[in-house]
Amino acid sequence: MDAVVSTAKLNSNEIFDLMKQFITEVIGEEFVEEMDITMESSFTKDLEMDSIEIVSFSEKIKAHFGEQIDFTGWLSNMDLDQLINLNLGTIVNYIEECQ
Amino acid sequence: MARFVFIVPPLTGHINPTLSIGAVLLNRGHEVAWISLDKSLVLRLPKGGQLLLIEYDESDQQKQDSEKYLDIITKKIVYGIDSIKFLYEEVLIPLNRHSYEGIVNLLDRFKPDLIITDHQMFAGAIAAVNKNIPYATSVTAPAAIKVMDELPKIHEWEVNRIVALQKELGVERENSIACSDLLTMVLTSEAFFGEMKLPSNYQFVGPVIHKREGQTAFDWEELERRAGQPKVLVSIGTTFDHEHKKNFFAKVIEAFAGEPLTVVIVSDPSLFAEWPQNFIVQRNVPQLELLPYLDAVVCHGGHNTVCETLTNGLPMVVVPIAYDQSHVAGRVVRVGAGLRLNFNRFKSKHLKEAVEEILNNGSFREAAQQIGASFEEAGGTETAADLLVRLSAVRCVEVLNN
Repeated sequence: MDAVVSTAKLNSNEIFDLMKQFITEVIGEEFVEEMDITMESSFTKDLEMDSIEIVSFSEKIKAHFGEQIDFTGWLSNMDLDQLINLNLGTIVNYIEECQ
Repeated sequence: MARFVFIVPPLTGHINPTLSIGAVLLNRGHEVAWISLDKSLVLRLPKGGQLLLIEYDESDQQKQDSEKYLDIITKKIVYGIDSIKFLYEEVLIPLNRHSYEGIVNLLDRFKPDLIITDHQMFAGAIAAVNKNIPYATSVTAPAAIKVMDELPKIHEWEVNRIVALQKELGVERENSIACSDLLTMVLTSEAFFGEMKLPSNYQFVGPVIHKREGQTAFDWEELERRAGQPKVLVSIGTTFDHEHKKNFFAKVIEAFAGEPLTVVIVSDPSLFAEWPQNFIVQRNVPQLELLPYLDAVVCHGGHNTVCETLTNGLPMVVVPIAYDQSHVAGRVVRVGAGLRLNFNRFKSKHLKEAVEEILNNGSFREAAQQIGASFEEAGGTETAADLLVRLSAVRCVEVLNN
């Protein structure tokens, strides 16, 4: 049996919803309502988030999952092109694999 | 007396501080020249300053290239992290590569004792190293040298682009030489720059506020008539294209038309057939003279406007568009001197609420005044000139001793 973890394991739909909630907190509810956020949405081109907003978003993930996932470590390894093309699906998959 | 040369990119915000520092050096009896691609710079140089124009025995191609770089940055709107890639790949690297040979030739001719190169004109640093002339660096956009702990690869990517160009031009080093080991002047205060330890060759000299020569007309009487109402300046600089400006100012109009405040807009008045009664719209304003009469500023986060605003102790709303502006906006928020909005997403009511907030909540103004005081303490133009003179003197002694 696995060690007891503080957060129940989430499936990809639940992770997606959680990420959407974090994005909402960073950019504001009313903007999210106007956007069609999908797994394919890229942070730079589709969500028009700049580097500072991406960092605030990553801080929320870190605060939620804590030690369980080294999200900032993973993000800090991304090169420029990976960051420009980073989409929600990549993050959802990463979190799902890490749990 | 020493011979100084500034090497500047064709970007107003990077050139203006060097004009002020250069003027002080000239006043103290030194010889000062500017190396630039931009012919029109000669009209703005302080009295006695020389323009050393980068030009080539023109194959037409090279001449066209020179002209192309003068306004390349205005041609394309890029956003967020994408804008960093654009800035390096399509502007800075080709601009520096193109300028290098011209810089080397002009250095041979002028024989400076000390070079002061802009942090984004790394061709100047490369030429200095190859010619064995001491150089200092002026960091005119301090936010651009910040490294984000969370996204370190952005900075690493920038450094790799610079190092590759260095190697192409004969400097075999693995680190960027853009910021001089002798002296790198960071044109802000440590308090505004924020937490990030810099080595001792970096000196915070404070912003160098440039007073433009000559008078820009302004309807002071009109401003006088509106005494008693809060006054807000709205400016998003000259860099961005027509469509963006139109979208932006449409929201500004919606936010403030008919409100009990006076809005001074820096824009081509013909952008709209009609502006609201409480707006004063001019293509150029005497910003430095105007700021003491204002209560708040809305801007895009260009380093110079932000510094001038803080120097006057005014709170601001920053709406960053690209490049390092997001960082500048982040700092304004962090020190408590203002609020930020997202350029693409904000709506008129957000702008209205944000401006009301910074006008009504005194803490923003207090924080702005504190940063303004830190600027004054850092010294500015005279301090920068002192450091350069001292460095040139030290180098002369060293040369004599050897």
